[in-house]
Amino acid sequence: MSPLRRDTYQRLGGAGLHNASRLARHVLCAALLASVSHTVCAFTVAIAPVSPKTVYLQVGVGGFTGHYNAGGTPGNNATVNKESVTVAAAAVGNATAQAMTTDSTVGASSYDGFAFCNVPAQLYIGGFYRTTTAGGGSVNVTATVPAALVDGGGDTLPFARISWTTGGNGDSGSEPFPAGSFSAGAVQTVGTIAQNQWAESCWTFSYSNTTFPAAGTYTGRVLYTLTAP
Amino acid sequence: MRPLPRLLLLTVLVVAVPADAKTTVIDDSGTLPYDAPLVLHWQQLSPRRPVNNRMTGTLTVRVKLHVAPWLRRPGRIYLALPAQQPGAMNASWFTQGRLLPGRVSSGSRSLVYSGLITTPFIEEVLQLTLEVDGTQLRQLYHVNFRFEMDEE
Repeated sequence: MSPLRRDTYQRLGGAGLHNASRLARHVLCAALLASVSHTVCAFTVAIAPVSPKTVYLQVGVGGFTGHYNAGGTPGNNATVNKESVTVAAAAVGNATAQAMTTDSTVGASSYDGFAFCNVPAQLYIGGFYRTTTAGGGSVNVTATVPAALVDGGGDTLPFARISWTTGGNGDSGSEPFPAGSFSAGAVQTVGTIAQNQWAESCWTFSYSNTTFPAAGTYTGRVLYTLTAP
Repeated sequence: MRPLPRLLLLTVLVVAVPADAKTTVIDDSGTLPYDAPLVLHWQQLSPRRPVNNRMTGTLTVRVKLHVAPWLRRPGRIYLALPAQQPGAMNASWFTQGRLLPGRVSSGSRSLVYSGLITTPFIEEVLQLTLEVDGTQLRQLYHVNFRFEMDEE
């Protein structure tokens, strides 16, 4: 989750600047008066489209204080959530996918508190991309995936064994964060956020369980990134 | 009997059509800051349907109006926001009492003073808030305001 706000302008201040701006204004006014006899000065306010871009991404637990529609605002949260499954010895390698669960407690939408995801079966992912100008622009959310999960003895399990379905309570149609599976050792796109829209989905992870790895606890970390131009 | 209706008609016309008020743009070259940069913020930081793409920002403007040409004469002063890029806008302002607070939409104006002009300059501090449609912003814009004097 990474909110970002950039303000590029600073307010003018100080007598020197005021005097300089007044001189500049008089020069401008003189130029205007030279061409249009009835023109007089009028103050202006400069506005620019570059300053108010904002992005927010939340995977699992996020940084919203309250909910948006109750006056909440996005913030930072360093929590790293976990998806896990324990495969019974008798079931290892039987090709029956094993549902994973999350330690995230977030089932409610950060927008309005609606019970959107069912925890611990589903992991909430949501965010937005705020930018000026009209149009159909969008930004991608990527996952940086290690090659493999590793246990304490150095044994490995390809990340490609993990996949997910997508949905959300009350949702129909396509999801902004669709179903997929991890591409081991790659950076892959896992979703798209259209500009000036809130996007959210619920992911249900599973382990394919088609191989016979050595007994152990295998871990690996996937990094999700929202990048805006 | 015939002249009476004609007299009544003339009277009605005179009452219904006010005398032409001459409008003059007031020299506000003493206003600071010149071309003030305004930082805009989303009204709705987190968008979701229905999406509100309005943006607002507030700044302080020290207005100085050169009204000496109308000294000791009655007048009405308006703050006008001409129709201009980037499209539909709203402005509102608070004052310290010398001028009236109010709001205006682009392409219109709002009364800020009515009465006798008693000093060569009218000075006031405005807390000016501008509201624009964020999706219309494509470049840097210099939003132009002007003060207008209607002589009575």
